[in-house]
Amino acid sequence: MTAQRSNTLVVAVGLLATLALSAGCRGNKSKDPPIHPNWNMDDQQYFQAQEDNDWFPDHRAQRPLVAGTVARGLLKADDHLYRGRGADGRLVDTLPPSITLDEALLDRGERRYAIYCAPCHEQNGRGNGIIAQPGSVATGLLVKPPSYMDPRLQAMPLGYFFDVISNGKATMRPYAAQIPVEDRWAIAAWVRVLQVSERAAKADIPPAELGKLNSGGAQ
Amino acid sequence: MAQIFPRWTNKIPLAVGVTAPVVLVSVVFAIWYWFSPKFTDVGYQPEQPVPFSHKLHAGSLGLDCRYCHNTVEQAAAAALPPAGTCMNCHANLNLGDHENRIKPIKDAFAGGPPVEWIRVHMLPDYAYFNHSVHLAAGVGCSSCHGRIDQMETVFQDQPLSMSWCLDCHRDPEPNLRPRDQITNMAWGPEDAAAYDPNTDPTRTRAVAPPEHCSGCHR
Ligand code: HEC
Ligand code: HEC
Ligand code: HEC
Ligand code: HEC
Ligand code: HEC
Ligand code: HEC
Repeated sequence: MTAQRSNTLVVAVGLLATLALSAGCRGNKSKDPPIHPNWNMDDQQYFQAQEDNDWFPDHRAQRPLVAGTVARGLLKADDHLYRGRGADGRLVDTLPPSITLDEALLDRGERRYAIYCAPCHEQNGRGNGIIAQPGSVATGLLVKPPSYMDPRLQAMPLGYFFDVISNGKATMRPYAAQIPVEDRWAIAAWVRVLQVSERAAKADIPPAELGKLNSGGAQ
Repeated sequence: MAQIFPRWTNKIPLAVGVTAPVVLVSVVFAIWYWFSPKFTDVGYQPEQPVPFSHKLHAGSLGLDCRYCHNTVEQAAAAALPPAGTCMNCHANLNLGDHENRIKPIKDAFAGGPPVEWIRVHMLPDYAYFNHSVHLAAGVGCSSCHGRIDQMETVFQDQPLSMSWCLDCHRDPEPNLRPRDQITNMAWGPEDAAAYDPNTDPTRTRAVAPPEHCSGCHR
């Protein structure tokens, strides 16, 4: 009688334990989609960004633009701002009137440059970024980016850098889709800063900052 | 007259009194433990159509999150990158033996079918979430997504439940950082302790996360 009862107890505890183990613990990795006991209105009949829609053959709910059309408000008529070209169709050497040159712009340019350009062009613009160089993780780009200090590039107008970012150049692909237009100008301005700092002489440094250089504070 | 109930029935109240609380507690525990998003959702790690590794790209190569998720600061959604973004580098790289791993991307770029990435983080459609406000307030990616830069394949690290959202909304300060550190994956508790958002000159106002229902259920 007691033996039988303790047997039942063992079986019951064993069953409970297997149930608990088969259900798993919190945080276990799983390839299966989450099971929600109650789906409520989790999935409603509208499409979120990048959701799939089986109605279209390519399954994209977000439809690509029909060729030859422009979405409302996105007509980019300002040649200076959007193409870096003046009325005569040549590349400009000035910022568009809607963008002012100040510390905030250069600061923005430096940070955006670090995100989008430095992986290949290196933070100092010499073209030895981590992607470009063969190293421990990467085998390096097949075509290496040039240094901005190259005399040919030093002679280029500001609009040229905007144009390369927007439309790409040879093996470098365009970044117009990734970087908003104001940021592209900020980056172009920062590329110019890198070039100018290469040419700079000691006399160009403001006296107030000179102390830092001599004490080794600046590089 | 014979007894209606046999003698053993005297034990029923005792047995019920002992087992009922045990069963009740087990059921409550089971629902609390296994029905919670901490169990159902955390750790979801689907196999992706391309073996893309954040550990390699964001960790070892040190790419900034915004190189690929470039809409994250301006839009509600942190868009997954189109094939063209991968091709910025991969058109100019040779993966050697691993070239077949990137083939679906190259096909999509050449006009083939788009790559169908499998969604990892998924709020119900009745809850509203917006990346740009959180990033503008200085909440970092790693607070909500964990150490993505150490993940070979992305998995969900946080429950994304309503109580989880509210825990932070009620006391956001320990989760705030300078706004140029939002993509810094190595930001740890020591950095957070050393940073006081109230004395940060780049902040013009105190953050005010919504706690009222219509803030998130709009
Ligand atoms: C994926 C790596 C990569 C990234 C990221 C990248 N570039 Fe390049 N870039 C290159 C390569 C490679 C070339 C050389 C192209 C060639 O000559 O075939 C190049 C060339 C250039 C040139 C010189 C064009 C010329 O006339 O020779 C400029 C200027 C330039 N890049 C600017 C930028 C800027 C600004 C950014 C950031 C928005 C950027 N690049 C991001 C790889 C990159
Ligand atoms: C080289 C491009 C690239 C970079 C850099 C990158 N990601 Fe991603 N990310 C992707 C792609 C592609 C996916 C979709 C495939 C997947 O889920 O692995 C993705 C998926 C994700 C997801 C899961 C999305 C979902 O389905 O819920 C998160 C979260 C994420 N990335 C965060 C980050 C963070 C944080 C960083 C910066 C540390 C980062 N990513 C850097 C390309 C990138
Ligand atoms: C406050 C928390 C929070 C922060 C901070 C955050 N995310 Fe998210 N992320 C979420 C949530 C919640 C979702 C799911 C959104 C949904 O399902 O609508 C998500 C979804 C995503 C996705 C999938 C696509 C999408 O938008 O639904 C990607 C990619 C992503 N996040 C990347 C990032 C990156 C990169 C950063 C940092 C720059 C970041 N997230 C910061 C909470 C956060
Ligand atoms: C900024 C440059 C860059 C971008 C953008 C980029 N990758 Fe890579 N990727 C690399 C480098 C560098 C390697 C390592 C190459 C090597 O091993 O030499 C690599 C390797 C890979 C590998 C092979 C990993 C292995 O196991 O060998 C895959 C798969 C891959 N990337 C997928 C992607 C996908 C998908 C995207 C777009 C979401 C992407 N990459 C975007 C630079 C990039
Ligand atoms: C780690 C902290 C943190 C987490 C987690 C978090 N939030 Fe927030 N959220 C904030 C902060 C801080 C703000 C305030 C921003 C401000 O005042 O500028 C905010 C603001 C918001 C807003 C207001 C947006 C607007 O347009 O006014 C919404 C909606 C929101 N969060 C939704 C969510 C949801 C949904 C979740 C859970 C999936 C979530 N948040 C998780 C910190 C967080
Ligand atoms: C910070 C954002 C936020 C606020 C504020 C908020 N919610 Fe939610 N709520 C969420 C999210 C996110 C979910 C989805 C949670 C999940 O997936 O488990 C949710 C889910 C719910 C659900 C569905 C629960 C279920 O599983 O069926 C109800 C009901 C709900 N909320 C009611 C409310 C009410 C009532 C209020 C006001 C007192 C409120 N919420 C305020 C973010 C919020």
